[in-house]
Amino acid sequence: MEFLIFSVFAMVSVAAALLMVLQRNAMYSALFLVLIFFCFAVFYILLGAYFLAVVQVAVYAGAIMVLMLFVIMLLNVAYPEPADRALGLLRPIGWSAALVLASLVAWVAAGSPGASVARTTSGAGLALGTVGVAEAGHVQEVAVTLFSKYLLPFEMTSILLLAAILGASVLARKRPDHA
Amino acid sequence: MPGLPETVPTEAYLALSAVLFGIGAIGVVLRKSALTMFMSIELMLNAVNLTLVAFARQFGRLDGQVIVFFVMAVAAAEVAVGLAIIVDIFRSRRSADVDDVSWLRG
Repeated sequence: MEFLIFSVFAMVSVAAALLMVLQRNAMYSALFLVLIFFCFAVFYILLGAYFLAVVQVAVYAGAIMVLMLFVIMLLNVAYPEPADRALGLLRPIGWSAALVLASLVAWVAAGSPGASVARTTSGAGLALGTVGVAEAGHVQEVAVTLFSKYLLPFEMTSILLLAAILGASVLARKRPDHA
Repeated sequence: MPGLPETVPTEAYLALSAVLFGIGAIGVVLRKSALTMFMSIELMLNAVNLTLVAFARQFGRLDGQVIVFFVMAVAAAEVAVGLAIIVDIFRSRRSADVDDVSWLRG
């Protein structure tokens, strides 16, 4: 059952990714990306990361994509996108390189020691991990790890967000010399 | 259903993450509009997040999920600043075409 859900949403996300990349209309690309983010939330739930699934929907689909959609509408760049640059031979070369890279990474992932560990321990080890996963991934468990072991990165992230707020406000403010 | 694994193996998530990362890389290279390049970068970031969470599940530790939490926060900050830059450039250039932004070219 879990595998069925995973394969359905995996195919949906790959199809949506291809459509997003090959799309002329930036608005449609953004909407496809929102669909991809919801598929990712499903993957996180399947992996037991319940807190991250909610954060994914709230932050990525709910904030980042809304911001992008607002900018697309503000700049009115939805359609038509400027014609693709004259790539010539680079386009098929690029596609084959990407195909080689993706298959290489997938092959390494399937044959790597970590993956073979997953295969050999998928029965017992995952049962061991499942006991932990059954409780892990909820807000409380993530918070315990976040605020004990990763407290310093947490505080630094808050400084980073402050810098981002200031930077975005300064960059996007109305300048007196613009029309 | 017989024949299907009981639970989804980690390799499946890794392969999916690799494919999505590759598609995002294609998008960054092929597209001309800065906004679509941004969206492809976000797709690549999410693919890496999926890898981290898959390994967090495999090894039964939560560190991967906490790292993904930080990646999401940093991605949000990056998008905010990046879009502000794009808006600023668009104000003076009337175009979101990355090939037009070539003032520093020798």
